Amino acid sequence: MPSRNHIAFQERGENVELDVDYVVVGSGAGGAAAAVTLARGGSSVLIAEAGPWRDPEDYPSSVYGTMRDMMDSWGATFTRGRAFWPIVQARLVGGTTVINSAICVRTPGDIFEQWKLEHGIGGDEMAREIWEIQEAIESDLHASVVPEESRGRHNILAKKGGDGLGIDSHYMTRYVRDCEGRGQCLQGCRAGRKQSTNLNLIPEVLERGGHVLSCAPVEKIVFEGARAVGVSGRFSHPQNHARGGSFRVRARRGVVIAASVTRSPNLLAASGVESKALGEKFRAHPGAPIFGSYEDPVDMSRGATQGWASMAYRTEPGLKLETLSLPLDMVAGRLPGAGALLMERLEEFRHLAIFVQATRAETAGRVRPGALGRTNVRYTLDTKDMHRFREGMYRVAQVHIEAGARSVLPCITGLPYRLGPDEIHLINEGPLDPRAYVAILSHLFGGCVMGADPARSVCDGNGRVHGRTGLYVADGSVIPTNLGVNPQSTIMGLAVFFAQRMLDDETSANAA
Amino acid sequence: MNWLIRHAMCAMMPGGGTLPGLTAEEAHAYAQRVRAESDWLYSLGLCLGAVMFAITPIITLLIPLPSFLLPARLLDRHAERVVGHRSYLIKQAVFLVRLNAGMCWGASAHNRSALAQPAYPDDPGTYRTD
Ligand SMILES: Cc1cc2nc3c(=O)[nH]c(=O)nc-3n(C[C@H](O)[C@H](O)[C@H](O)COP(=O)(O)OP(=O)(O)OC[C@H]3O[C@@H](n4cnc5c(N)ncnc54)[C@H](O)[C@@H]3O)c2cc1C
Ligand code: SF4
Repeated sequence: MPSRNHIAFQERGENVELDVDYVVVGSGAGGAAAAVTLARGGSSVLIAEAGPWRDPEDYPSSVYGTMRDMMDSWGATFTRGRAFWPIVQARLVGGTTVINSAICVRTPGDIFEQWKLEHGIGGDEMAREIWEIQEAIESDLHASVVPEESRGRHNILAKKGGDGLGIDSHYMTRYVRDCEGRGQCLQGCRAGRKQSTNLNLIPEVLERGGHVLSCAPVEKIVFEGARAVGVSGRFSHPQNHARGGSFRVRARRGVVIAASVTRSPNLLAASGVESKALGEKFRAHPGAPIFGSYEDPVDMSRGATQGWASMAYRTEPGLKLETLSLPLDMVAGRLPGAGALLMERLEEFRHLAIFVQATRAETAGRVRPGALGRTNVRYTLDTKDMHRFREGMYRVAQVHIEAGARSVLPCITGLPYRLGPDEIHLINEGPLDPRAYVAILSHLFGGCVMGADPARSVCDGNGRVHGRTGLYVADGSVIPTNLGVNPQSTIMGLAVFFAQRMLDDETSANAA
Repeated sequence: MNWLIRHAMCAMMPGGGTLPGLTAEEAHAYAQRVRAESDWLYSLGLCLGAVMFAITPIITLLIPLPSFLLPARLLDRHAERVVGHRSYLIKQAVFLVRLNAGMCWGASAHNRSALAQPAYPDDPGTYRTD
């Protein structure tokens, strides 16, 4: 539904100037949650989003279309280090929630303890409040367990494998209303079932009188002394990337940065914020798949994209196991081999199921501005993490075998293409060189971490940037550790928690 | 440059077996489109990957010919060896060609039907303008 409060790309010379209480930069998990909280609190809010606003009928179907229409930098951001691993993030209204699997896991209690111990923030009180917030978000976003009829064979097989191994595992809770099991979450749910923030929270911001600027990458935060008073930038055309008119938003009460782990640190740096902690403590849950080959067709594109998980190894050695369905146009580019051999391997596509492991890696990397508006992420897993990672691959293979796979395809350089049930131990003896694996990074943390000590953190436990006033960060970049669970719920919980503090601060200031 | 990308992509996914291969027309149209639509780094990576594919038969087969002059049997062997080469740089450079070959092949209605996958509707590329 078009809205007068939404302004998309403007041509050169068509400049936009607006005054609001709060400007929120980025419309993904963090930005949308902060914006709707501020709007519900009665503030006027403007969201500035770098990418365009696409509704489900605009969503692509192919992987090519997804990279073109939804991904940040065409999905071509990758780690610089020993291995080049892709870092996947979206650039459109709704941010990465449009292309994620909407898996909903509340922040584990041990994380708040760890934050308290290592960073002087968090603790029981924060835990209680965040869990309450997460419960409310689950209700707003219709969180529900994957319905039986949408499970699809790959998720059912994984459950059978998990049960057979005797490990704790479950069908997942996701922010999805009446999932049709179209297995298309990663290209955006064309059925509109997945509650990405472009469909759920952001429309409410508009209904409450807020504004959205789309195709509007913020280039600078504007300061008056130490106080953040607004943002500025130029519209960017979503197809040809031409620069359009300028925009300038004045924010009477605050500027909230939620441009993601790879973008927020660089935006702060480009705007003159100086901190030794800026861009540091980048962490991730690198993930990689193992294909299982089954006697009967699995047809993994039928059923929820990611419907099963096990957290049995979250603490030791630090892993999460999940299912994942990938479309033919991704699997064709992803299976090892080329030429006639690859074509032969693709013949069994319908018999393949993919289970993945996400490693709770401790290794810290760093985010820095790159050339021509890109981002550099330096990151190489250390040996301890590579041991975890390799064990994750083995555990995933175990689930396949227990589920009845006749063989697994590990996709690990140096190992045979296919391993039979008696050979999967070879994975545990496999390489520890990250270059032997094709992993991706989709759960990202850090870069503007929160903490009590300004020398070691960018913002405090309420998202306020140290040494500045009116400037907040409210996305995955504030998270100072890994989580060992999917991050959306934690990011949204923190963003709402911070926004509530902003509103409280306002109330106290008014009373004073 | 498009013909070189097309050549490398088709070599990655040839016909002749049970499944249909990537056709020169499909690959050419794709190369044109991706170079027109993608961001500069992606496009550059794809071009470099195609060049790497063309010049490496000397490494994979010890034959001093560009890949586009190889007979079909040797071209197939080159494709297989270059994507699994032990030099990470060579492997990564051609990875993007292979990835795009897969994306192009797997999105074609004809190839999808061979594996009982429904045809994709067109990617509309539209967005809210108001
Ligand atoms: C494929 C995939 C699957 C995933 N599945 C799950 C899952 O099932 N469950 C889960 O919990 N997590 C999942 N995640 C992770 C989760 O989606 C992210 O952690 C989360 O969305 C990050 O929220 P964020 O607010 O930090 O950033 P994002 O959601 O990425 O939002 C940042 C937004 O800021 C915009 N932006 C950037 N720079 C600027 C600028 N200068 N000006 C204006 N706007 C800007 C971007 O365009 C983007 O829209 C998945 C991630 C991926 C990639
Ligand atoms: S599995 Fe399909 S219907 Fe369900 S949320 Fe994902 S894309 Fe939508």
